[in-house]
Amino acid sequence: MRPVTPRGFRDVLPEEAAEREALQRRLGDVFSAWGYGLVETPVVERLDALEAAAGSLEGTAFRLVDLDGQLLALRPDVTVPIARLVASRMGDEVGPHRLRYCANVFREHESLRGQSRQFTQVGVELVGARGPAADAEVVAMLVEALRAAGLSRFSIGMGTVEVFQAIVDAAGAGETWGAAVFAAAHDRNLVELDRLAAEPDVAPRAAAALRAVPRIRGGVEAIEACRSAASGCGCDGALDDLQTTYELLESAGVADKVAVDFSVMRSFDYYTGLVVEAYAPGLGVPLGGGGRYDGVLAAFDAPSPAAGFALGLERVAIALVEQDGGPRTRGLDAVLGGEPGLALEVAARLRGAGWRVTLSQREGSALVREAEHRGAVEALVATGKGLYRLDRSGEVALPIEDPIPYAPTTSWAQGGEAL
Amino acid sequence: MIAYRESEEGRPLRIAVPKGSLFADSVRLLQAAGLDTGALENPGRQLIVRTDDAEYIIGKPTDIPVYVAYGAADCGIGGKDVLIEAGLDVVELVDLGFGACRFVVAEKGGTQAEVSERARHLGVVRVATKYPVITQAHFDARGIQVEIVKLNGNIELAPLIGIADVVVDITATGTTLRENDLRIIEDVLPSSARFVGNPVAVRTDPRVSRLADTLAELSARDPEAGL
Repeated sequence: MRPVTPRGFRDVLPEEAAEREALQRRLGDVFSAWGYGLVETPVVERLDALEAAAGSLEGTAFRLVDLDGQLLALRPDVTVPIARLVASRMGDEVGPHRLRYCANVFREHESLRGQSRQFTQVGVELVGARGPAADAEVVAMLVEALRAAGLSRFSIGMGTVEVFQAIVDAAGAGETWGAAVFAAAHDRNLVELDRLAAEPDVAPRAAAALRAVPRIRGGVEAIEACRSAASGCGCDGALDDLQTTYELLESAGVADKVAVDFSVMRSFDYYTGLVVEAYAPGLGVPLGGGGRYDGVLAAFDAPSPAAGFALGLERVAIALVEQDGGPRTRGLDAVLGGEPGLALEVAARLRGAGWRVTLSQREGSALVREAEHRGAVEALVATGKGLYRLDRSGEVALPIEDPIPYAPTTSWAQGGEAL
Repeated sequence: MIAYRESEEGRPLRIAVPKGSLFADSVRLLQAAGLDTGALENPGRQLIVRTDDAEYIIGKPTDIPVYVAYGAADCGIGGKDVLIEAGLDVVELVDLGFGACRFVVAEKGGTQAEVSERARHLGVVRVATKYPVITQAHFDARGIQVEIVKLNGNIELAPLIGIADVVVDITATGTTLRENDLRIIEDVLPSSARFVGNPVAVRTDPRVSRLADTLAELSARDPEAGL
C-alpha cells in the first residue's frame, strides 16, 4: 500500500521542524523570563472532566473509548487541562501559579474545509490572580511574545464579555433569549443580534446597548463610548477594570498595539471577563487569543480566578513568512569524509569546537557535491596526516590547523549569506 | 485553512461579489455606497476586477463564505441560505434586504396521504434538497426523522421521479414549485442577501466597518430593494 496520513494531519520535515523549534524557543524564552514554568499534560483527558469546564466542546473534540469503557477526548485546547492540573495537583500550594506550555491540540472539522485537525498551541496560564494587574500581565506578555517571535506588524483586540453579560441581565427577557444572544455573539452575527434586540420583551435601554456595543472599537475612548452606549446596564465596574487594564498597558509601553474591541468573543464559552485576540495584517484568522476564565477551576472544586492565552504556532509561522521575519535556522557546517575510525574521532573534536558536522563515506568530488547538496559550508576529509578542506573540484586543498577553529559562519550553498 | 494573500499597506479593499441572481443588486448597492463599480458592470469573463478603491472577486454564491472566512476577501455579499449551509466563521454585518426568498417544504400535490402512509410503514420521510444542513436542522427541531438526498439542482423534480417524498428548497414567488405541481406545506426560514466580513478584517480594517455602516443606512432607507 501507499500510506497516507489521516485527513487534517501531517508530517513536519526537518527544515520546517527546525524553524518551528526556533519559534517555540523564542516564545518560550519570553514566558520563562516572566517566571512562567513549563508544564506538560496528557494528550487525552477524561471527556467528563473537559465537559465539566467547557460546555462548548460538542463537535470539537476527538472522542475515544478505552478498554474500560471510559470516554476520553484528545485535548482540544490546553487551558482546561491546565486548570485540571492546578486543581488536582497544586491545590495546596500558594498561588498564583504561572505556567506555560507548548502542546499539540486536536479538533474535529468537517471534510473538505482544508483545515488541520492537529495544531500546536504555545501559551500561558496565570492561575490564582485577578483584577486589572493580572489581566494586564497577560496582555503585555502576549504583545512581547509576538514581538519576540519576529512579527513587526500585528495588533491585539481586547474586550470583556462582562459587558455583554450585563446587557443580557439588564434586558430582563429571559434565559432562552439570553442564550440566543450569546449564540449570535459567538457566531458573530450582528444581524441576528439586531433582530433579538428588537424583540418586544427587551428593556429599551438594553436593546439600544445590544445594537451599539458589538460595533464599538478603538483606543481608550472606546471604553467611554461603551460606557454611554450601555449606561444603566450595570457594566460600569467591568469598564472601570478594562480602563485600568488599558492604563497599565500604557505604562508597560504596549498600548499602541492594543485596540479596545467589544465584539471580541472567543469560540470557547468559558470566558468570564477579559477576552483578547491577536491579529496579523493579511491573515484572515487570529494568531491566537485568550482571556479570563474565573469559572473553570470552580468546575473542578478548586475555585480560583485564572487568565491566559494561546498562540497558534502554525499561524504565527505563516504570518512570519508573510512579514519575512521567520527564524533563520543554522544549517550544517561540514560534511566529513575519510577513514571511518579517524573521521569519528575528528568529528568529535569538530563538534567540541561548535561545528555541526555530518559523516560521509563519499570521497573527492562526490563528497563536495554532497556538502553542496546538504547546504554545508565545508567538505572535509580526515587523513593520517591531519584534517583537510576539499576545494570545489574535490582536490585536497588547505589543511585545517590544530586546535580546530570555531565553526564557519558562511556557506557556498547559501550564497555566502550570514547564517 | 488560511488564504495566503499579500498584505501590503494601502492595498484596495477586497470584496467578494456573487454571480447569478444577486449580482446586479449587489453591484447597484455597492455603487450607491459610493464605490466605483463601472468595471464591474460588464466584467466579461474576468473573475477579479480592480478599480481604484476596491478589488472585486466574482465567485459562485456558495463560494463567497469560503473566500471571506479564509481571508481571501475582506468582505462580501452572500445569501443567508448559503451562509447557513456553509457554517463558516464570518461576521454577518448587515441584512441588505434584497434577494429575499424563503426556505419551504413542498410536496407533490395530493400526495400528503401517501407520504404519511409511507412514513407510518417505513418510519422515515425522504427529503430532497440542495441544503442538507438547513434541512436536517429543521426536521430535527420538529422531531421528524428524515433521510436527506442531496441534489445539486432541479430539486422540484425529485418527488415527480420518486427520489424523495418532499423537497426543501428556496423560493421567491413559488412559481417554479407550482409549475411542477408542488405545494408548499411549511415554511422553514426566510433568507436575504447579507453583507459579511472576515472576522479579522472587521476588527483590523476600518474600511470594512465603514462600508457596513453605509450599507446599513442604504438598506434601512429602502428595505425592499436595499437601495
